[in-house]
Amino acid sequence: MKVEKLAHNIYLIEKGGKEIIVTKSGYGSHYGEKIFDGYREWIPYRSKLAAVYLKGHHLNIKSNWKILYLGAASGTTVSHLADIVEKGIIYAVEYSAKPFAKFLELTKERKNIIPILEDASNPWKYSGIVERVDFIYQDIAQKNQIEIFKLNSKIFLKESGEGMIMVKARSIDSTVEPEKVFDKVIEELSKSFKVLKHGSLEPFHKDHIFVHVKQ
Amino acid sequence: MYKTWFGEVENGKIKVSDDFAKSFKNAWNELNVLPLPFSILELGKEVFKSEKEYYKVLRKVAIQVAEEKVNFEIKREDRYAVILVKALDELINTINLLEEKCEDIEEIKESEITVELKNKIKELRGLRVEIEREIEDVLAKIAPNLCEVVNPIIAARLVEKAGSLERLAFLPASKIQVIGAEKSLYKAFSRMRKGKKAKTPKHGVIFQHPFIKTLPKSKRGKMARFMAAKIAIAARIDHFKGELNEELAESVRKRYEELVRR
Repeated sequence: MKVEKLAHNIYLIEKGGKEIIVTKSGYGSHYGEKIFDGYREWIPYRSKLAAVYLKGHHLNIKSNWKILYLGAASGTTVSHLADIVEKGIIYAVEYSAKPFAKFLELTKERKNIIPILEDASNPWKYSGIVERVDFIYQDIAQKNQIEIFKLNSKIFLKESGEGMIMVKARSIDSTVEPEKVFDKVIEELSKSFKVLKHGSLEPFHKDHIFVHVKQ
Repeated sequence: MYKTWFGEVENGKIKVSDDFAKSFKNAWNELNVLPLPFSILELGKEVFKSEKEYYKVLRKVAIQVAEEKVNFEIKREDRYAVILVKALDELINTINLLEEKCEDIEEIKESEITVELKNKIKELRGLRVEIEREIEDVLAKIAPNLCEVVNPIIAARLVEKAGSLERLAFLPASKIQVIGAEKSLYKAFSRMRKGKKAKTPKHGVIFQHPFIKTLPKSKRGKMARFMAAKIAIAARIDHFKGELNEELAESVRKRYEELVRR
């Protein structure tokens, strides 16, 4: 088995002639991913963060980072982040009750996830729970997602903290070309942050981009 | 005063809560005092003696509160939506009736009553918009896929006619296609039973959707059939999984564009 390290606890391994991305983990399967002794397969079609690594942007998430995660859904990406920040903590916010039920199973298994069932556009509602964090990860398909990100980073992001936003063109404006939406989003973000890197998530996620920013 | 999940902070002093679940739910602070001028973690370490203990208690409380909320919301929300739709229909009816009567009165005599009636009707219209907005909010939470495939109001009507989201999830697409057109459906059935020729309706509630309404008559049946199939899938995902599937709504849009061009 050929193994290549991409970042802390994130590896590329060769399986059956194919290269796949995995996180080092002592836990079992959460969303149907395969387990190879001590590694969990990280499916890029399910998790946009896995797609970011496969697109060649090797974000350096440190093992002791505190993370605010907006839009946890059923916890696919959170489960891998929890593998990575083994000494840190993840505050996971999700608004919708249904996927949260599945997500709660994960939080009971892991020791480093704090679940919060609230609307990410009202960060004041969890302002007495979440501490200052090193990293904000946002994956919510909402029209005002950039505003939501700005508001949350103003309240919770440390001075030199970083952020990662997944933007879906159609949830911001479905009437214009995705490229135009993306240009506008990046312009908007660069007013308040330093944009470190951005790029498309094709072929894993259609009409999506990631934007990596720093305060 | 600042509120944290483990107690209230006033003049730099912490009053530790005697019910963490309760203070967790109320840990709200006004936007204008944020970010908090102190570190929650540092303060918490003083209260709980160590970082390890702090996270241990926080995690336990967070899971407990989240579980409570999940159970509560899942049970209540679709019934709430159903009742709201019923109230909305009554309201629309009332507005129409009142408007009619108002015109009747006006024809006979111009009076203060008509002015007052008109004001009341205007208020009711405002209420109508509010109820619609609330329905949209609730539906977006409990049925994100239905909201994408059709729109929240039609989704709410489908849930209402089916009785609950669960029952909608168990209906076949053929039934969903004619929800809301029961009268003409059963009329057609009874004619068939007598051996006469009859046409079953093409669409019920879903006719309200612009993708069907805007098509020529000859193509509406095709679109309605396709849309009903996707609604059935959407309702099942919403009921059993609750996560958004982006391809679903996209496929409906594609099918519509195909039919328009043909």
